[in-house]
Amino acid sequence: MKKTVDVSIPLGPVHPIFKEPCRIKCETFGEQILAAEVELGYMKKGIERIMVGRPWQEVMFLAERVCGICSVIHNFVFIETMEKISGVTVPDRAAYLRVLANELDRIQSHLIANFSYCYTIEHETIGMYLLNIRETVMDMLEYLTGARVTCAYIIPGGVRFDPDSEDLARIIHALDSVEQETRRYMGMFESGPLIGLRSRGIGIMTREQAELIHAVGPTARACGITADCRSDHPTYQKLNFVPLVRTEGDNYARVMLRFQEIMQSIGMIRTIILTLPEGKIRGGGTIGRGQTTHKGEAPRGELTYRIKSDTHGRVQEISIQTPSIMNIEACARYMIPGVTSVADVTSAYISSDPCIACTER
Amino acid sequence: MTVLQALKNAVRQRSIHVCYVDTGSCNGCDIEVLACLSPRYDLEQYGIYVHNNPREADVLLIIGGVTPQWEDKLKMVWDKIPEPKVAVSIGNCPISGCVFSRPDTLTRAPAKSYIPIAAEVPGCPPRPTEIIQAILSVAPLIFRDWELRQ
Amino acid sequence: MRSIISYIRHMARPEWLKKFFFAKTAPLTTPAHFRDFPHLTDKECTHCFQCMMICPAPGAIEVIRTEKPGEWKPVIYPGHCIRCGLCVEICPELVLDAGRVHTKNAQDGTYMQFQFHITVNPVTCMGCGSCTVACPVNKEIDPQLAAKGTSTSDEVIMRVYKGINTVFHEDKCTGCKTCEEQCPTRSILVARVLEPLQLEEEK
Repeated sequence: MKKTVDVSIPLGPVHPIFKEPCRIKCETFGEQILAAEVELGYMKKGIERIMVGRPWQEVMFLAERVCGICSVIHNFVFIETMEKISGVTVPDRAAYLRVLANELDRIQSHLIANFSYCYTIEHETIGMYLLNIRETVMDMLEYLTGARVTCAYIIPGGVRFDPDSEDLARIIHALDSVEQETRRYMGMFESGPLIGLRSRGIGIMTREQAELIHAVGPTARACGITADCRSDHPTYQKLNFVPLVRTEGDNYARVMLRFQEIMQSIGMIRTIILTLPEGKIRGGGTIGRGQTTHKGEAPRGELTYRIKSDTHGRVQEISIQTPSIMNIEACARYMIPGVTSVADVTSAYISSDPCIACTER
Repeated sequence: MTVLQALKNAVRQRSIHVCYVDTGSCNGCDIEVLACLSPRYDLEQYGIYVHNNPREADVLLIIGGVTPQWEDKLKMVWDKIPEPKVAVSIGNCPISGCVFSRPDTLTRAPAKSYIPIAAEVPGCPPRPTEIIQAILSVAPLIFRDWELRQ
Repeated sequence: MRSIISYIRHMARPEWLKKFFFAKTAPLTTPAHFRDFPHLTDKECTHCFQCMMICPAPGAIEVIRTEKPGEWKPVIYPGHCIRCGLCVEICPELVLDAGRVHTKNAQDGTYMQFQFHITVNPVTCMGCGSCTVACPVNKEIDPQLAAKGTSTSDEVIMRVYKGINTVFHEDKCTGCKTCEEQCPTRSILVARVLEPLQLEEEK
């Protein structure tokens, strides 16, 4: 029998590039990759089972700790689902402040994703530059909410704390330096020839393949699919949000799309701070009985919460669908088998921005 | 202890290799460890090099509450590290399980019951300043008078 | 060749050279507006236990008696506390403080309110009365419950009436869930309903 597979290389749970444990088994023929299989299961904690029977003030912290990188959006979508069940309305100022916290979180998540990619292709210089501006963004988040990660800022009926004009002035001032530096690093990334060697044309996924496997988030928008849950949210519609799309579908497109989304988020934050309406930040209201589904746009894709609650607002059944499972499957099936060398497996995998903690809660 | 051994211990104290193991966390503490490497809270200026290789490490960072898959593998990773070694746990999860320590959970905290831990940094997640203070306070103790303790 | 020129151009800028030779990393201090582990102020604690009811992390906060007679104090365990700040917000006497929580609450007029609801499942309740004897508020109202296990007064929160545990005064409940832990068939459930509110005010 003719052998097509030489050796099966496992990229194991503890790896210098991976932040989270995940096993990728690649079947190779010489240096070419024929197929890849992803094995998960190292981070399962059973969060959804713990959430059953608890009121919102305990489930909110569990939902935040599903993923520490995108914790604000989990908080946001969970509270919005509970409000949708019981018909609680939110004052205008609180709605804008929620979007402010969400966009700050999106900026720092995209910066971490691009840092991971630059670290994977061994270009530590740009990686460290990106981490430096991320610290400025975390300072802004700390100033607004009181904590850097897992902020617990959004509650039913509004937000927890109100920034005064001095806080907002500081945020706008810090945003200028973030924008200027990001623009410089975008230029460095675009024009670097060695970066281009390892990113352009590597890990290509066509638009038909992405639609077949239901990829979401920047991974899908880099292939030409226009799909962004923020277009359906009323506050984002007031800010005239339009999703960004690229057509190449390789590593380079995904990383550049994240840079462009950072610039879009900075623009949105500026608009919010300059046009923030006055008013209350908490509208009050208790959670009742009901059942619903709600979607939001996490930095990695579309996030869905399905919740059923009983009389006094305790969670009876809950199901969370996170974006990374679809992207990891797309990565293993379409991006990795096309690469020409084993060294490109890690860069293709990291460029699709996996978050294993979200995938197995 | 000869002069050469004392010199060797003093020099090794100033360049420490760190390996970290994520045994099922939410990634918050992971991100704060990465923030320690950023130019703002530079960890490398103290001579500490963070990579992920157990065979060359002196300090093992444990992040996350121990999930069922990691119970035997944590001991295996600890055994692979050559002496002298020290383990530091970051965050609330390895101490007590944080919010996950309810009756029907899958995490089996504390991590102390699997491997010996020298220092714990509480917080969910701890700030990078707190992590650096903990590592700096535990780092001089690894190599001091190593041959005498044998 | 192009990349070498771009790197040299990048490194010859005066701000880069200044940072290379003179920049220092930030000192290892925590800013004042960071929501750290709550610390005690010198206000008096009235042992209402609301901070223990709201805490989402198990085993993080306990209200215990101190050596001085009649004095109670909350104690925070750093290995369990997740620094959420809910106990700081709900305390009616402002005994705990963390970061800028109190200044912000005073500025915005925001507060949180607790309400406790008790539901008894009539199908599975067998009228054993473990819950009525365990409830600490019941024991305060009618001391007979500690000794005999029956009660004839109607001022207690709940008692066994016609074979099933019936709730008379839900508003006296403090939400400690002792009845829920003692029930052998899981028929009684206490709901801790929290509502975050803000005072109406003209800015």
